[in-house]
Amino acid sequence: MRGRTLVFPLLAAAFVGAAALSLSVGPVQLSLGQVFSAITGGSAGGVSGETAARVVLTLRLPRILLGVLVGGALSSSGVAFQALLRNPLADPYILGVSGGAAVGAMTAKLLLPGDSFLPLPICAFLGAAIAASAVFLLARRRSGISRERLILMGVIIGAFLNALIMMMVALAPPGRIPGAVYWLMGDLSLGTLGRVGMLAPYVAAGVVLLFLLSRGMDLLLLGDEAAFQSGLSVERVKTAVYLTASLLAGTVVAVSGLIGFVGLIVPHGARSIVGSGHRRLLPAAFLLGGTFLIVADVLARTVGPSGELPVGAVTALAGAPFFLYLLRRNGRKP
Amino acid sequence: MKDDRGVSVRLAAAPRRVVSLAPNLTEIVFLLGQEEKLVGVTRYCNYPPRAAALPRIGGIVDPDVERIVAADPDLLLCTTDGNPKERVKILEEMGIPCFAVGPQNLDAIFETIERVGALLGVPEKGRKEAGALRVRADRVSRVQRAPSPRVLFVVSTSPIIAAGNGTFLDELVRTTGGRNAAGGFAGRYPRLSVEDLLVVGPDIILVAAMAGVEEFSPSVSRWSEIPAFRNGDVVTLDGDLVTRPGPRMVTALEKVAEVLSAWRTRHPDVPARTKGETR
Repeated sequence: MRGRTLVFPLLAAAFVGAAALSLSVGPVQLSLGQVFSAITGGSAGGVSGETAARVVLTLRLPRILLGVLVGGALSSSGVAFQALLRNPLADPYILGVSGGAAVGAMTAKLLLPGDSFLPLPICAFLGAAIAASAVFLLARRRSGISRERLILMGVIIGAFLNALIMMMVALAPPGRIPGAVYWLMGDLSLGTLGRVGMLAPYVAAGVVLLFLLSRGMDLLLLGDEAAFQSGLSVERVKTAVYLTASLLAGTVVAVSGLIGFVGLIVPHGARSIVGSGHRRLLPAAFLLGGTFLIVADVLARTVGPSGELPVGAVTALAGAPFFLYLLRRNGRKP
Repeated sequence: MKDDRGVSVRLAAAPRRVVSLAPNLTEIVFLLGQEEKLVGVTRYCNYPPRAAALPRIGGIVDPDVERIVAADPDLLLCTTDGNPKERVKILEEMGIPCFAVGPQNLDAIFETIERVGALLGVPEKGRKEAGALRVRADRVSRVQRAPSPRVLFVVSTSPIIAAGNGTFLDELVRTTGGRNAAGGFAGRYPRLSVEDLLVVGPDIILVAAMAGVEEFSPSVSRWSEIPAFRNGDVVTLDGDLVTRPGPRMVTALEKVAEVLSAWRTRHPDVPARTKGETR
């Protein structure tokens, strides 16, 4: 019991540690004192002190906040999809969200003239929302939503959207593509305080909604029949979980691009720490996802000899072996 | 004659029908006055403007083998690094002589012009044009070289991707007496963050303007700690000019030299700095 009560303080401590690490490392060498005085609003004095404060507050801090929101939202969404589909391989992107967002982003890059900085997130979100709704509507039948049909439709729509992406890459004039490609690989460098402020309410609403659906998701894991017999309005819960998790993923994809693997492995990691009750699992996954993404972003910013690496590549590189380890360790108890 | 792959290309007579698989090669053929021999160019061949009216055989990475064969060329000019080797091989196996070049610096461009001239049966013209370009390049490299500004040459502004060591853009900067601000990074095209810009502190930022490359976003350019942004020394250059290893690379060199000399006039007393050269 003592271990259980310690879990959340430990997760929170890990998160704070990751945030502190991220604030203090980067190409511009800053002392811990400079970072601290920047955060607390004091000034270390002099021009360089003011620059240090701006580096910390306008470059590093927004990335951390964006990392928490994106990592936390993707992990929560992953938890929800794994419960909804009763499938450990489910992640936020499994049902067309990623393909839809990618097509939306590429369309913005290719068709919209001039500074396509702002329209890109909006188009990406629209693409994700349209794809997710299409999957949902196609999978729905009078008898309800079957998991098999959801996955099938998700895969088919995803394949179709991937074909569209390939067409766009093949037909696009050179020079239009790099921005979109970097975006597809996942990118936290677009983090500004304004954007973090825009994203925060959506992520908060989505995560709170999922938390309220915790009991529903616990029951969904038992199977539709059992869930129904426990008095759950199964179809309504499924619809609510699906829409919330999709829109959550679509919203963060719009600001950060496609950051893979977080939504897949963090739920498993969190489950191995706090078990599979969603009331504990969701907050744990949110904290762990935020921490994981911040650490991945620190690596992306600092280890590359030729500048910044796409954070999506780092999460997948670090995530895949970890996932394999989890699978091997839990192999005997499916 | 050997090409840059080491393949010996032998022609029985001067070619009459030539296909070019890259814009810089098309420009070289025009420079040599042999454009009436061109029976196929890529969809990117837009200079001189008349080149755009020639029959097209596809793109650089996706040349259409069948169209090339249909054009019935007796010489194919291609590049070692842009065109797909397998397709060139297929064309060679069909009996079309393929001359592949891949100049990596200005001198190699001049030498390529001479070789293509010899191949097209106008060796004299090739030597003359290459010589004229050499004279222009020499004139540029002899201008005043101090003070030496830190120059960042970017090929993309969002994300910020700069030209690193070993690129033509790097050579343009060094030949005109500048120091490549991205020289401390590994790789030919490093991706830089705003923090990286703060550390290397470029005095001049050159932007190779290509489709899709826009101005720096205000969240980047408002960093007045970066000299180029503080003083407004951000200059846009035609992307075609600075990325094609052809005759106009010398024009690009002259333009970069102009930018640097204008900067020197405005900042006559900037002391040579040494910090920030390496990361």
